[in-house]
Amino acid sequence: MTAEIDRGIESPVEPERGRGPQGWLRAVNRPIVKWPAALAVLAVLVAFWTIARQSLVIGVVSDAPLVLAAIGFALLYRLTGLINVAYSETVTMGAYIGMWVNTTFGLNFYLTLIPTAILTGLFSVLTYFAIFRPAKLRSVGVVETIIISFGLSIFLRYGLQFVFGFEFRYYDVPVQKSLSVLGVGVSPFRLTALGVTLALSLLLIWFIRKSRAGVRIRALAGDEKLAQVSGINPLATTVLIWFLAGMAGGLAGAFYGVNTSCRAWLGWDQFLFILLVVLIGGARGISGVLFAGLATGVALSFLELVPGLKTTPVYAQVIVIALFMVILKARGNRLLEAGKV
Amino acid sequence: MSLDWLSQYTVTVLILIFTTMGLALLLHLQLGLTGIGNFGIVGFYGVGMYAFGMFLVHVPWPESWGTIWPFLLSLVFGTVAAGLTGLLVGWLIVGLDADGVLLGTLGFATIVYGLSQTNRSLTGGAEGMGTTDYPYDIGSQKVNTLLWLGILVVVVALLLYYVMRVHRSPYGRLLVATGQNEALARSLGKPTFRAKLVMFATSSAAMGLLGALYGVMLHYVRPVELGITVTLAAIVGLVVGGATRSWGAVVGVLLVGVLFELVFMVWIPFPTEWRGAKLPVIRQMLYGATLILVLMTRPLGILGRMRRDKTVRSPDRG
Repeated sequence: MTAEIDRGIESPVEPERGRGPQGWLRAVNRPIVKWPAALAVLAVLVAFWTIARQSLVIGVVSDAPLVLAAIGFALLYRLTGLINVAYSETVTMGAYIGMWVNTTFGLNFYLTLIPTAILTGLFSVLTYFAIFRPAKLRSVGVVETIIISFGLSIFLRYGLQFVFGFEFRYYDVPVQKSLSVLGVGVSPFRLTALGVTLALSLLLIWFIRKSRAGVRIRALAGDEKLAQVSGINPLATTVLIWFLAGMAGGLAGAFYGVNTSCRAWLGWDQFLFILLVVLIGGARGISGVLFAGLATGVALSFLELVPGLKTTPVYAQVIVIALFMVILKARGNRLLEAGKV
Repeated sequence: MSLDWLSQYTVTVLILIFTTMGLALLLHLQLGLTGIGNFGIVGFYGVGMYAFGMFLVHVPWPESWGTIWPFLLSLVFGTVAAGLTGLLVGWLIVGLDADGVLLGTLGFATIVYGLSQTNRSLTGGAEGMGTTDYPYDIGSQKVNTLLWLGILVVVVALLLYYVMRVHRSPYGRLLVATGQNEALARSLGKPTFRAKLVMFATSSAAMGLLGALYGVMLHYVRPVELGITVTLAAIVGLVVGGATRSWGAVVGVLLVGVLFELVFMVWIPFPTEWRGAKLPVIRQMLYGATLILVLMTRPLGILGRMRRDKTVRSPDRG
């Protein structure tokens, strides 16, 4: 009897079973080996294989708005623990607000991005005060909050459809000459979207890790009561999170809108992929979201480009969704540490 | 017996309402008891509808079997197909928490919608494909549809009976316990994953059956039928009635369905030019607003608390 107890005390923690590879694989799995190796393989592929090159360029460039939208969603998800289905309507709102500013005031597209970002941020804060704050104060459960946000999403989506009608609307922008990147034609708007996405994510990573407001945000996400005791104003900080998330979503929407067209279902069509990217990449913070988003884009365009498969975009999406569901099953979707962005 | 007072359209809407009621009853098992928020109901319903249609149309049935046997066999096939996909999807998602379930079920519905548009030779592509008429003919189209409504009501009543049986069974109590505190249930040696998986697969199979039955009424299956509205109507109905009560689905769907689909869409004399585009959009907005209002002000629905309220989850769980 005592021997058994002793043994229990000797090894209170079981050796990590099934977590991480064994032996030589463990050596390869170190980041310093893994990442350069992956990059080298990628570089070789891109250099010698046209399809890899094309899918890399098309995927990275065309899915930059997805990454931007996913970063906004991840902010809400990681910092407030909320799954906001109505975030898709924030994206749609960005597209419509941008279109409205662009066509009404005749502003240059790049200039419209600034009012669009601010107005969508305010819209996002408005949804917080109208719906999610009351819901939180009434201590609505997790699943119920998702259902509420689903209801809000439906309400806003059909509201937009009611106001703007069924027809697609377009930005008033001059026809763009496409630029050549690695031998693939790319529209300048898409390149801007990529640039804005990268810049904004670096800015956000810096902001949340280093700035005072960022520390407050993380403190609040970690332990709300302790943060309050330490003199952090939870309301102001939460509003800041919602504003930032709305800005990211609105910019993503504006880029979606200018690349294709504005329609009430724009955000919803992207929502599943936003959710996929955030749940798969979100555990590693914003950089994980960035990586997962770009990888999704590359995988989608790769599946469409491989000649033997004859995959239509629908099949490519089906394959990617199924693959991500399996990844999620294999990994589980535990939130690692609250407030780690 | 004169049936002039009853329009064909009203009968179709009633079939829609009862189909939604069945879906809401099954969602009650998933969401109300076990806490699995299924946002992809339409996926399982669509698998049933399409599996039934494709099996019936593409299998070379021998002439001597008549019409009724192929019909019944296809219904069984649709149900089993939906059950098997439910088993697969359930295996993937029932172990995850609310976000993973949302992703998995939404993703599944998107996959079904996407696949229903491809493979033209099998599914008819975006235009859809004609399936079959009712397997009987007892008079006018309206009378046939009425009989179909009767059959559907019987099916939904059986589902209600099943759900009430589940409520009183040890299996149902295990589901409730799993929904409330899965770690505790598991620590007592209960097979929570298996219980959830079995529940998910059986309720998916029944959703597939409802989809197949609705597909028969449509005579024509199209991807358009697999929109978000099906899921939305079931969720709204269940939430309005009360997600934790078995009668909640019945009361809620009847109330919401009659109010929105019949009173709002048919009986209130809105100008005719609104009917095409405006009214359906406003109806969807009303659905969304209802969902928010009910969950904010009366999270347990109009039926309120259960008798066994202590053992069924309270709204502030989590």
